[in-house]
Order: sequence, then structure tokens, then C-alpha cells
Amino acid sequence: MSDTEQRKTPAKVSPAGKVMRDGLWYNNPIFVQVLGICSTLAVTNNLRNTLIMVLGVTFATSMGSMTLSALRELIPRKVRMIVQVLVLSFYVIIIDIVLRAYQPAISKQLGPYVGLIITNCILMGRAEAFAASNPPGLAFLDGLANGLGYGWVLLVIAVIREFLGFGSLFGFKIVGNWFTPWTIMVMAPSAFFLLAIALWIANNYKAKAEAAKKVAPAPQKG
Amino acid sequence: MKLNRNSITYAAVFTFVVCILFVVILAIANQVTLSRVEANKKLESQLAVLKAFGLADASTPAGEIDSKYRQFITEKAVDQATAYFATIDGQPFVAIKLTMPGLWGPITAVLATDPKGTVVRGFEIVDQQETPGLGGRISEPWFSAQFKGKQTLPDGTIAFVQGSGKGNFDPANGTVDAITGASRTSDFVSALVNRELALARQIGGTL
Repeated sequence: MSDTEQRKTPAKVSPAGKVMRDGLWYNNPIFVQVLGICSTLAVTNNLRNTLIMVLGVTFATSMGSMTLSALRELIPRKVRMIVQVLVLSFYVIIIDIVLRAYQPAISKQLGPYVGLIITNCILMGRAEAFAASNPPGLAFLDGLANGLGYGWVLLVIAVIREFLGFGSLFGFKIVGNWFTPWTIMVMAPSAFFLLAIALWIANNYKAKAEAAKKVAPAPQKG
Repeated sequence: MKLNRNSITYAAVFTFVVCILFVVILAIANQVTLSRVEANKKLESQLAVLKAFGLADASTPAGEIDSKYRQFITEKAVDQATAYFATIDGQPFVAIKLTMPGLWGPITAVLATDPKGTVVRGFEIVDQQETPGLGGRISEPWFSAQFKGKQTLPDGTIAFVQGSGKGNFDPANGTVDAITGASRTSDFVSALVNRELALARQIGGTL
């Protein structure tokens, strides 16, 4: 995983702005870090579930990163992974408890996926790569930016899958009965190739933008 | 104060304290919401039973479910299932709630019928983990609506057939449309429905 601190962005951007830009685009967890792919495949055939998943991941990453960053001077290195898992799963279970109590229908639909937020590599990735060496405010922002960076990519994929797979968006029918749903879009394989196409477009675009910026070959690692 | 963060004692004490702290908060949160979660579960199950008996629908306000349930329904645990009895317009009806295997996880459903098991009153999925958009469509209203008033075949079963996939609402033909693209789920639901019919007949016969 590439580290945020080493990415080059224009010098005048504030640390907070840089963290946001990195999470949303330059170091996007899906496009660049290629993390959190399991849930990208699992929940994106339906916009509503995707949105809840995105909110859950964003909440857990930002709050988890902030807490771990606040504790970073106190956490012994030997047990830091254990503490990271503990803190992150704490927030995930909180989400699960709240959904079960106040949104039973959604909780039922998402089933095991809420608990599985803890296995989303973005959470541990950001805790280890960023929160462990940055102040709480910035760590919170980094978690937020990565959650949202993950979120917008997921939502784009979910829009395509739900529209083609069900002919609806957020469960509302968009097209008439003449429309034949693409069954493949509802199933996991479609997520694989949609994600691959998205990765390809994003990285292609990024490579072109970077090539246009500097005429000389890249001084950084290849 | 300068702590030696590398000592084993510090690591052990730190981990212990942090664990206790977070687990206590979670335990409190769980305890606070426990009654609400239980109430949600109970309400969901009651609503499914009422829907199967045709006494409620999706628009029934949550506040009325419990009182309606108490007014009409008596329940009795039978071998690995729950039987429900209701008298509607002077006619006795029996319903069975049963859990059987599905494709990804267990499927729980309620089926209400007359005590002889000849005309289905209603069918409702309570819980399932089938593939969303395919097998998961057994939770859609059109699927359960097919069972309303459906006469069983002479052998007392309901047949799942490959139909239009849009629903089979003729009450006399004893068949329902299976889910397109979900043959396995349809097989599991078919087994569940017919087991429930058999149980209902068995229990209804003792009325």
C-alpha cells in the first residue's frame, strides 16, 4: 500500500486538503490501494444497501482512526494490531447494535455484511498507514476521506448494477415493464468486471494526467 | 511521567484496560437496546403470522399488530415448528411456522390453511438469506400473494412450476410460479410449503 505522506501534490495545499484529495482521488482506497474489494462485490447490486455499507465504513474508519490516533502515544508497539482490531470492531459492533435496534429492516437485509465491515482492509490499512503517525483531527479526516473515496466508487458501481439488474434506483422503478433485467448484473461476476473497467478508466485517466503534467520521466519509484 | 512502553507489563496492563473499557461500553449499548431489538423481532414474527392469516398487511400500523395478534391468535409449540390457531368469520384456520434449509441459509416461513389443508389462506416468508434479486425474490409480495386462496392438488400439495415468472393467481390450479433463475431456492421453498401443509393437516385433524 502506498503511503499518503509520500504522495506528491501541489505544495500550497493544506494538510487537511491534501488528506481529502488523497482519499477521494490520488490515493483512492479502491483505485489505488485496491482495498475493500470484498464488499464492493457483495453489496453493490442494490443502492440502498450500498449506501448503508458506505456510511458504516466511513463512520468506522473515521472514528476508529481518530481514536487510535488519540491513543497512539500510549499503544505499545507489540500489541498495536490487537488494539487496532479491538477499537475498529468496537465501532463496527456499535453500528450493528444501532441498526438492529432502530432500523431492523435494513439490518435484516444487510445481515452479516455489517459485521464484516471489520474485515474491510481500508479500516486496518488507514489505522496502520495513517492514524498510527498523525494527530487525531487529521486521522479523522483521513478516515472520512477514505470512506467517502471508497463510497463514491461503490455508489457508481451500484447505480449501474441496480439499474441494469433491476431497472430501478433505490428500489424505485425507473423503466417500464418492457425492460428485461440483466440477471448477470445482480450476481457477483458483474461486480468483478465493472470494478475492473472502473479501475482501468481511473488509472488510465490518472496516468494521462500525470504524463501531461511532467515532460521529464518520473523521478519516483516505478 | 515516562512510561516504558516496551515492557511486557505495560503491554499487558494496557491491553487489559483498553479491552475492559471498550467491552463495557458495548455491553451497555447492547443492554440499552436489548428490549427494543426483542420487540422488533417479536413484532416481525407476529406480523408475518397475521399476514398469513390475512388479518394484516404491510400497511397495518405497528401499534395495532400486538393487540390484533392477541385478539385473534393462539399459539402452540409442536415438534420443531409452531402452530397457530385463529377463528375468522366463524371458520377455524391453522398456520404452521417452520424453518427448513435454503440455498445459503435457513428459510423460515408461515403458511396458513383450513384445518383440512385443502385451501391455503396465506403464505409469508419470515426470514431468508437467498441471493438478492434471484432467490431473494421469495420475499416479494407477488410471490406470497400467489398462495392466497390457492386450492391444493388432489394429493394435498402445491406444485412449483416454471411459469411466466410473474405469478400464478388462479386459485383452482394448485400450482404457483417458481422464481425464474432460482431453481434451487424454488425447490427448497416447495419442500418447505408442502411440509407445512402436511403438518397443518396433521394438527388441523385434531381440532
